[in-house]
This record gives sequence, C-alpha cells and structure tokens, in this order.
Amino acid sequence: MKRQSMVILLNENYHVCTGCALLCDDIEVITDGKKITEVKTACRKGVSRMKGCNEPMSPTVDGQQVDIDVAISAAANILKNSKSPLIFGLGNSTDGAQKKAIELAKQVGAVLDDTSSFCQGPTLEAIFNDRIKSCTLDDVRNKADVIVYWGADPSNSHPRHLSKFSYFPRGQERQRGWEEDRTMITIDIRKSHTAKISGDKFYQIPLQMDAEFIDALIDALSGKVPKVSFEFDPKRILELANILKKAKFGTIFVGLGLVYSLADMEPVVRLMDKLNEVSNFHLIPMVGHYNMRGFNQNLFNETGYLNRVKFEKGNSTDVQHGAEFSIVESLNNKTVDAALIIGTDPLSSLPRSVAEHLLDIPVITIDPCETFTSRKAKVTIPSALSGVECGGSAVRMDGEEVKFEPIIDVKDQTIRPSDEEILARIMEAL
Amino acid sequence: MGFGQFLAAPEHKVTIVTYRDIFQSAVMEEGRFSEEYLKLSAVIKMDAADIKKLDVKVGDTVLVKNKDNNGKVIVRVESSGYDSHSGIAYMPNSPWSNALVDADTGGSGVPRYKNIEAMVSSAKGESITGIDDF
Ligand code: SF4
Repeated sequence: MKRQSMVILLNENYHVCTGCALLCDDIEVITDGKKITEVKTACRKGVSRMKGCNEPMSPTVDGQQVDIDVAISAAANILKNSKSPLIFGLGNSTDGAQKKAIELAKQVGAVLDDTSSFCQGPTLEAIFNDRIKSCTLDDVRNKADVIVYWGADPSNSHPRHLSKFSYFPRGQERQRGWEEDRTMITIDIRKSHTAKISGDKFYQIPLQMDAEFIDALIDALSGKVPKVSFEFDPKRILELANILKKAKFGTIFVGLGLVYSLADMEPVVRLMDKLNEVSNFHLIPMVGHYNMRGFNQNLFNETGYLNRVKFEKGNSTDVQHGAEFSIVESLNNKTVDAALIIGTDPLSSLPRSVAEHLLDIPVITIDPCETFTSRKAKVTIPSALSGVECGGSAVRMDGEEVKFEPIIDVKDQTIRPSDEEILARIMEAL
Repeated sequence: MGFGQFLAAPEHKVTIVTYRDIFQSAVMEEGRFSEEYLKLSAVIKMDAADIKKLDVKVGDTVLVKNKDNNGKVIVRVESSGYDSHSGIAYMPNSPWSNALVDADTGGSGVPRYKNIEAMVSSAKGESITGIDDF
C-alpha cells in the first residue's frame, strides 16, 4: 500500500495551499478521492487546512437543517428585506467570488468590508497608491540581501516564509544563502521565534514606540545622532542604519505589531523615502488570509477604495467610503440591519463588545466549517474549501496572482458549491 | 461564574499584547470547538515576577478583566519565558483575548488588539471560561 501511495504522490501535480497569503504552490497530497488523507510539504497550519475541519457546516435556517436551495432563498429574503445590509469577509474566497460579492453589494446597497479594515489595510493602501515601493517574493528570494521583519513573527503566522522566500533559499543572486549572503533583522517588542533566528540582529523596542524608533532610524540614516526617549543604545541604531544603508536589495516585511502601533502609515512612508534615498528598499505586508489582498485589489480596481465602502442600492456608480463603513463602526453604531458573512468568523475575531450587535440582526454565513458566527446565524450555507474543493485565483501577499485547481473531484460534492456559485445563486433569487 | 469571590485577591495591572501561535492556528483549522483549541487559546503569558506577585503558580487559573470591567475571562497563566517584561502580558489571538478588547476605537475602526489594559488576579480553582460562556 505504502509503495502505491508513493507512486500516486510522484505522479500528482503540485497544489496550492490556501492556509495563508503565502499561497505555497509546491504542495503534494494523497487523496482517497473524497478527502485529502496526507499532505506533504505544507506547514502545520497548511496540513490542517487542506485536510479539512472536523466540524463541516450544514445548510440551516433558524438552526434547522434544510436543503441548500432553501437556505439560499432564505438568505436572499434577508437581504431583500434589509435596508442596510453588511457584507463582510471574503479574505478566504477566490477572486471570482469576490467580484460576485461586489456585484451583490451594489445590487442590494450594502456596506462592504473585509478584515483588512482592522489589519493590513493602511499598508496595502499605501502600496496601491504608489506611496511605498514594493517587490515580489520571487525578487526577495533571488536578490534580497537585507530582510527586516518588523512587528511580524512568520515562524508562527506564515511558517514557510523564511524557508521558501526570504532568508534560507539560495536565490539567483544569493547563492551563498543565509550564511554569507543575507542579513535578517527582527524589530519587535518581544523575542519571538523569528527574533531568535535573527540572533544579534534582533532590536527589541518597548510597546507602542515604533514611530519614535523609526524617526531615530531616519536620523541615523541622515547622519545625525539618533535619540529615543526609552533606554536604547544609540550605537545599535547606528549599526542598524549602517546595515540598511549598505543593502543592495532590502525588503521590510511589515506585521501587525507595527501596523497597530502607528496612528497612520506616515512614519513608514517617511522611513521608506529615506531608505530609498540612501539605499534600495521594498516593503511587503504580512497578509494573513489567503486572498485578502485580492479582495482589496478587486474593490480598489472597481471603486478606488480597498475596503470600508457603502454602495447606493441599484446605483453602481454611487459609492461612499470612510471609517463609518468599517465593520467595527457599522456594528458599534448599529447602522447595519443584516449581515452576510463569507469565510470569516467575526464573533471570534472582533472584540466581543463590537461583535455583539451581530446577535441582534439576521446573519447569513457562508463557510466550509462551523464557526462561532455560524452557530448564532439565522442562515448557514456550506461552501467548498478553496484550493481543495474548488479552484480559482488569488493574490499572494506580494500582489502576484496564483491560480489553483480543485484537488478533489468536485462532481461528487454537489452539497458544497463554491462561494462564487452561492453568491450567484443568491443574486438570482433576488 | 462567581467572580465576586476574587475581589479581595491581589490585582496586577497589565497591558496585554495578542500574538499568533502556530499550534493554536493549526488546531483552529481543525475546528474551533475542540478542547485542544480552548487549551491553546485560554492562556495568558506573564512575566515570572508578576505571576509571583499574584500569589499563583504557573498553570493556575487567573481572572482577567479589562479596564472598563465589561470584559472578563478566566484563563490559565503561563510564564512567557522572555526576559523581564513586568506589566506586559501576552495572549494568543482568540475569543478569550477578544472578550477583553475595547469596543471604542475613537472612530478609527481599528480595535486595540495589541494594547489591552487589564487587571489580573488569582482565580485558583475556578474553571477556565468555556466556549459556551461567550
Ligand atoms: S506557509 Fe501558508 S501557504 Fe504555505 S503551507 Fe503554511 S499555511 Fe499554507
């Protein structure tokens, strides 16, 4: 049996893991036709993801199991009767599903938002508007000699980041690898697993002091004596500035530790401007959900905004944008009266006190698995797991498009249509 | 849950920073309602000296409540293993940490996930806040 499995494995094509926005495209699997039984190459999270969850969602209305068509028409009814619906999520959906959701939002006059609203939105906005220079992960693998993780811990969030792209590979222009050709720096408030790999190139700063540290670093890059209000040896800031200055191809990977510590992206824009005056630097956000960047790109192409929009019902050109249309403020201010949640779990990921309003309004969830939100939802519609049960395309954290095919024979899986198909069917039912 | 009985226990003020843990993330992919997910999520990691001040031991349960007193959870306390960081505590991102995050964002739409002001006190013998308690 074992030998046979190996033969199957070697004949398989490589697959894409949708466990995070690294979208690793070198995954090998063994399937029994219906389910993935073994996953090779992926990290711990990727393996769990591709094997599927233990609690798949069923189609339900008011907690009662129903036919999926009944659930879909109940969802359409909720949206029809809502004066101000919220559509939220889509970071775990394909580009096709995201475009459908934008159409649906226009049709019903919805507030449309995604998790970037409270994570990497500001970083992506600066990149989309060409305020910050970015590059691809392939550039990093082939050229980067200085890599900075700032407020990011890929060892836990994107476990193959270092081995596949940034630090360990022997890239085209980095044949001597991490031993001689690359320097990896970590800037964080704690000695994370990633920081440990940086060795003596770990710069520990106090909580919320990133902006001050950035300005001190800019001073050091400008030949001035760097000063900070907290205890930190200025010599170490000068040493850091010196490494950054000498970089031939530098990349800063920005994590939520940095994003959450800043009121806005201005300090980062200032630092990148300075770095590109004296050196050559790029920035890539450590995007979590596999296609969050795709959603931001698709909405940006359509409206000029990457999240937090409200469409006027039936009027496709009328779109408003602002913090008041973020999921958090929409729920805080109770300005939405129904919610369609796709591939995400706000009852788990939002502050409890914010998410509570979801308990007062009819909620529809579309997801492959049961979530905290689905257990409180009025309507649940099970969907295919991207990259395993449905194909499509997605945008990697660096903006590169990645296409993938389903691994499982989807003809068998009529019970779990893709997000895109479900959204199309809701639109028809409207 | 009898939160009242712990009012007299020594309280310690901390700023909680949330973080990601690959083991917890992987278990979440398998399902959010498992014992394992609870075990890896309902945790606060503190400075060893801070744990001592609370008169509790690693593995004991502690009550964590936020500054407006509108979010409370009972979780297990662990030592962070980092160099001294008194006053800062760490929790993996989960419904347990999110029970403590303030709804008020000053209109920005971005909750302070990595800067939660909270009080910690002993809840020795109490059971961990369960998923159904949310
Ligand atoms: S690093 Fe991300 S994309 Fe790669 S295997 Fe792990 S979860 Fe999947």
